[in-house]
Amino acid sequence: MNQTSRFAPYLYVAPLVALLLFVFGYPLVRIFEFSFKMVRGIDGPWIGLRNYELVLNQPLFWESVRHNLLLLLAVPFMVAWSLLIAVVLYERLKGWKLYRVVLFLPYILAIPIIAVIMKKLFQFNGPVNEVLRWIGLDFLALDWIGSSDVALWTVMLLIIWRESALGIILFLARMLSLDESLMEAAKLEGANWWQRVWHVIVPQMRVVMEFYIVTSVITILSAVFAYVYMIGGGRGGPGTSTMVVELYIFNALIRTSLPGIAAAVSVMLFLVSLLLIVPLFAARRRANEEETA
Amino acid sequence: MTGKWSFSRRDVLRTSAAAGAGVALGGMLPAWRARAAAELNMWWWGEQELPGLQAFVDDSVKKYTAATVKPMLQDTAVVISQFQTAAASGEAPDIQFLWNGIYHMESVWLGYLQPLNGLVSDAVIQASNPTLLSNFGGNTYRVGWYPLPMIWVYNKDAFDKAGLDGDKAPQTWDEFLAACEKLKSAGIAPVGGGIQDGYWGEWYFGHALAQNVDSAGETIGLFTGERDFREPKYHEHWVKLEELRKAGFFNSEMLSTELYPGIDLIVAGKVGMGLSVGSRVPADSKASNGRVGTMVMPVYGKGKLAGQPIFDSQGLGIAAKAKDPKGAAAFLEYLQSPDRLKAVHESTGWIPANKNFDVSVLTDATVKDMWQRWGLSPNIPYLSNLVPGQFYEQALLPTAQQVVEGKITGEQAGELAYNVAKEWRDFNPDIVENYKKWAVDLGG
Amino acid sequence: MGAMARKKQPAMHVTPDRVLKHGILVIATLVALAPSVFMILTALKSQEEYTFNKVGLPQSLVLDHFRGVLFESDFIAWMGNSLILAAGAVALSTVVSCLGAYAIARLQFRGRSLLFSISTSLMAIPPVVMIVPLFVLYAQLSLISTYEGAILIYAGLITPFSVYLLTSFFRTLPRELFEAARIDGAGDLLILLKIVIPLSLPALLTLVVVNALYVWNDLLIAIIFLQDDAKRTLMAGISVFQGRYNDQIPLTMAGMVFASAPMIILYLAFQKHYIQGLMAGSLK
Repeated sequence: MNQTSRFAPYLYVAPLVALLLFVFGYPLVRIFEFSFKMVRGIDGPWIGLRNYELVLNQPLFWESVRHNLLLLLAVPFMVAWSLLIAVVLYERLKGWKLYRVVLFLPYILAIPIIAVIMKKLFQFNGPVNEVLRWIGLDFLALDWIGSSDVALWTVMLLIIWRESALGIILFLARMLSLDESLMEAAKLEGANWWQRVWHVIVPQMRVVMEFYIVTSVITILSAVFAYVYMIGGGRGGPGTSTMVVELYIFNALIRTSLPGIAAAVSVMLFLVSLLLIVPLFAARRRANEEETA
Repeated sequence: MTGKWSFSRRDVLRTSAAAGAGVALGGMLPAWRARAAAELNMWWWGEQELPGLQAFVDDSVKKYTAATVKPMLQDTAVVISQFQTAAASGEAPDIQFLWNGIYHMESVWLGYLQPLNGLVSDAVIQASNPTLLSNFGGNTYRVGWYPLPMIWVYNKDAFDKAGLDGDKAPQTWDEFLAACEKLKSAGIAPVGGGIQDGYWGEWYFGHALAQNVDSAGETIGLFTGERDFREPKYHEHWVKLEELRKAGFFNSEMLSTELYPGIDLIVAGKVGMGLSVGSRVPADSKASNGRVGTMVMPVYGKGKLAGQPIFDSQGLGIAAKAKDPKGAAAFLEYLQSPDRLKAVHESTGWIPANKNFDVSVLTDATVKDMWQRWGLSPNIPYLSNLVPGQFYEQALLPTAQQVVEGKITGEQAGELAYNVAKEWRDFNPDIVENYKKWAVDLGG
Repeated sequence: MGAMARKKQPAMHVTPDRVLKHGILVIATLVALAPSVFMILTALKSQEEYTFNKVGLPQSLVLDHFRGVLFESDFIAWMGNSLILAAGAVALSTVVSCLGAYAIARLQFRGRSLLFSISTSLMAIPPVVMIVPLFVLYAQLSLISTYEGAILIYAGLITPFSVYLLTSFFRTLPRELFEAARIDGAGDLLILLKIVIPLSLPALLTLVVVNALYVWNDLLIAIIFLQDDAKRTLMAGISVFQGRYNDQIPLTMAGMVFASAPMIILYLAFQKHYIQGLMAGSLK
């Protein structure tokens, strides 16, 4: 067995190909098929574009889409907060390593766990409101999870709180890899702290920020199920105020027995994620190049 | 002890309809072992919401001599799908546990269950009250097993504090509003519970829609399109919710509290009145030293079903392809014999679904009184068990939440319900037909 | 603040600037820690105490809730299930990915770069897109609520990232190593087992951390494909648990303490791998 035979490589990749075909290939073909059928159980008659027509004319679907888009507003806050904290950490003040350990903690806790805790914290007569009332900010004591005007913002707060931890670590890691001599030079030229941050550090952060933004957008468009499932009582409540596309698919499949409808929405989400792959790969490639450079 | 039936059941149905029908068509199932004669298989559920039922089943099987009965306790998640799967491949158990209404009607429509009339004696079926919702095409498909009276409860201590008569619950809507006013002045939240998880809206719908309809079949018309939620009497229940909210009668934490913790608030006297379910009463009565009273929803409506106690039940049925339907029927009759009825109570502390049950064994006055009024008096079925899944998810639960919150008016809720019902018809043209047929049995 | 102040700032002086920066860090830390602190303090309060003391320190330490969680709930069983799934999926994915990544990085065959591109692109496909056909298929095959079924899905979902990471890593290994081994007569499998894998242990460890966390923390797949009470994972269990004991907040918090403890302990013990792993994981 000195020489690798011509077929050997295929043996090595065969399990990989089989696994990917099963978990990705098969479903991706079938969502297209199902999306054109009125599926009952495992199959059903072809009905052309009827599923798409039904979905696109349904207010609930558009409401779900709107909620995903609204949640994107979290991204600027995540970037700003992460950047601020990372920059301050980069000063390497006394105890900065300890701060770093603690500040990453939100990302360690699983989403369902943290959502349960937040749900209790933000109850109408819960601790957060109690403190707010106590310090005289009664007008801020909202019904955080019980009001359909506020619940989505509470979800967003939770997303910012948790996902920023990743931003902090990513940004800090990038800063620590920067060439310090530039900072020293700027200092010698009399640039103050803000000037140095703004003109020396931030420009060099562009690539990693871009990467973080693209990943966060993908997360918010397609991976917030656990947040809304826990906060919205499993149904995107109160009312339909925290309904998002993922939950719409879940409900159509599991709760209302409409696999065809669920498939049509899956197809649309899949197409959107394809659009996002391009910027993601570009950002990742640049981030990697920068790291190895 | 009450458990989670209202929600798990609905979730389960929706899951299993896809899974069950799916496997059904696939027809690929492990074969269950062949049965000898005089051997009955029974798949059941209920220990989950009524602890002690297992002991009852074991005991009943042991004492039954006409056949060997093999019971199997099913998991909540697979009660429906496992049965439908097995039925599709001709391997269903002889006896199957069945939730009420649409939860077992689907199996009927798929041809997996057989009519019990003519198989089980009429007297037994009647006494067990499987409710009207077990009827389709003139046939009955379940024998009742244990009941679930759908009730309102009130706290007698809270009533006393507010200067109300703790032994007299309000019966009319005006009396109810007056009581709310007094409770409010006494610093007690008059009415409510918890609606964060949405199920409160399901219970409320079951109680309140009944006030303006003459039959269960009339309700079906709201989904099939023969009637219209936008007509005032079909959304008046949501308008009433709106009024209660405007009057400030709901407890302040209602929106961020879930269903069962909400009932605890009533038991604790923090909320005056609200919705509950009968199987909670023995425990709640004990916890409050008998200071929780049961009541029918106060009446505002003019329908024939208004002001009547609502009675729902869990039941058992016989599979279409049961090897020995007669033997299965005999066992169901045996479970309804006086000795077995007593055994249900002894094992679970709850009541069996049978009008002939000897109530002298009940010690708690509140429980006894409830059974008298809900179980033994004329009663009506629980209308929320008629609701299609899509309507349940997109209208039944969200509308009540949004009205209680003040986000939409009762009228807008009616509009939304109309739209969702219409969407359901568009999405499920095939199921609409079965609903129309069903309406005939339900007096539409 | 400003240039003047900065200029004469020696290492340790207290300046407004320093105070501000420390202030920011302290606030950020409080925000990051508050939920965990609330969780722990509340878990130690009695049910009554919580009704009037929601934010303060517990007056006396109550350990009953932990006992309740440990002995009267299914947390241990849920954790066991999560562990089985994480171990099964990670093991399967690692083996498959090692073989595949080795071939992609080191062997010549047609479709090599296509396979790598497709596999890598799959990282950006939301898992929810795949559930409809898999659910229907699993219903047909009676694979719903089986460990095998769920492990297969999880393994599939984490594999694109594994292949991506391992391929990149294998490519960085010096070519001479392979050539030397080949001259000694070693076959590919032997090279993979004896040379590549031992050299890749740090990358593999990172991979195991990221993937195990993914499976451990997932909720979506868990609630759809493991509906049986006996197969429920920790995360799905938590959603049931919090509904059931909704009104018993201290008990709920004790459950959360218990559920988060393994992750927090592992994190504190292996901070470096965690941070590296999760950062790499974010590249998913």
